[in-house]
Amino acid sequence: MLGVVAVATLGAAGVLRGRASTGDVPVRPEATTPSLPGPVAPAFTVATPRALSSRPARAIWAAVRLPTIARRAPNVASAAVTSLSTETPEETANLVLVVGRRRVGRSLWVRARLPVLPNNTLGWVRRDALGGYQVVSTHLVVDRERLDATLYRDGRPIFHAPVAVGTPQWPTPAGSFYVRNRLTTFPESFYGPVAFGTSARSAVLTDWPAEGFVGIHGTSQPELIPGRVSHGCVRMRNPDILQLARLMPVGTPLTIR
Amino acid sequence: MSSNDNAASDAVAGTTVAEIDRDEAFLEAVADVYGETRAAFVRRLAVGSGVLVAALAATPEATAANRDGKILNFDLVFEYLQSSFYLDAVDVGTIRRMPREKERWARVLGAHEVAHVRILKGVLGDKAVKKPFFDFHGVTESEAEFTRTAVAMEDLTVALLAGQAPRFANRALTAAVFSLLTVEARHAAWARRIAGFVPVDKSIDGAKPIAAVRRVVASTRFIAARPRTRRRRHPRFTG
Repeated sequence: MLGVVAVATLGAAGVLRGRASTGDVPVRPEATTPSLPGPVAPAFTVATPRALSSRPARAIWAAVRLPTIARRAPNVASAAVTSLSTETPEETANLVLVVGRRRVGRSLWVRARLPVLPNNTLGWVRRDALGGYQVVSTHLVVDRERLDATLYRDGRPIFHAPVAVGTPQWPTPAGSFYVRNRLTTFPESFYGPVAFGTSARSAVLTDWPAEGFVGIHGTSQPELIPGRVSHGCVRMRNPDILQLARLMPVGTPLTIR
Repeated sequence: MSSNDNAASDAVAGTTVAEIDRDEAFLEAVADVYGETRAAFVRRLAVGSGVLVAALAATPEATAANRDGKILNFDLVFEYLQSSFYLDAVDVGTIRRMPREKERWARVLGAHEVAHVRILKGVLGDKAVKKPFFDFHGVTESEAEFTRTAVAMEDLTVALLAGQAPRFANRALTAAVFSLLTVEARHAAWARRIAGFVPVDKSIDGAKPIAAVRRVVASTRFIAARPRTRRRRHPRFTG
């Protein structure tokens, strides 16, 4: 009712038409209606966004939130592949790379790449044992033949450097892995200024301290790069590892071929 | 004043606000209105103290601007939550698998929330809070749970912004947040329609204070501790 009255009043005042109904003499609205303040100019406005598109293929990682068992199939009765703790030997969060998921009944299971021997092992983990997902758009490829490493972001190369890899006696393992932590500020210079821990493990140095994980790190002997001189780790010259540290987030998939 | 009143007055003499306000309802209200710093100050004051009244009465311009920033930052946290929620559902493929109309809804709302984050960060500049770490506990991996949660989140956003828009000392911020509020209200109606609910089920919407929204968000456990992936320590890799 109020609306009808208001429209009628505004119409009679010429506000809607801009002219009086009886002739061609223009009637200004402010001449017939009380002066009202205009709207307050907003402090900010939002441009029209485009609908979210699917992002380029990206990798997803998650931290192990609760100690759990990784299994061969998405089923609590399935054989155990390994047990997963919440921390790495370096006391960082223990990450897994998510490669698939399946709902079984009311339970959600995640297929994950695991930091265990034999290398390239996959297993099924209950979703509720993992934390929130994080997404990365980078991928590091280490080529043991060419003795180099290339970092890709969204499929495009953004970093390239020569590397040293393991000797024939202590080879750098081949396969699909991921970067799972980043260590800095250590007193002696053998590992250089930055060291990334990976999910790859030496298949021969199984009694190495802290489970024999393969790292990607700097060096105190840059003259040995490129070469086949390490115990399995991937070594880079210090300026290269520092540049890589600026570009490569933890969780980045790693391919060693 | 009766002798009983005097006795009661003597009994509380020297008692601090924190001791009386055991569930912190009063202090939470003070924090909402005046900020955490002043709430911490009031916590230590004695009940009946003139300083308490003075502490609550003084509202200098700087405090008003500071409060505007705090409200905007809370809104920003909520927009981070929403945008991350939709992006997570994109990344795990849930949105891609939806029927066409529903997929369009989720992509449009997600894009709006990303735009809201961008603009609020721009307005707050270096005072913008960092994006929290989110754990959606599998909700974004189920179309049904994702949709239900989106409805709840959009409804809650409307209640949050309706509660906060009038609180800004700067009226230009009120105007801007109202423009977000109307969009969020349309989001809520669209989400309800997609989920099969009545788009508008009440003739008037209630507003929620920040404390109430904070409790709802806390109950979801969507904001989680960020996993520690860096350490300052000596490596023991194979070398």
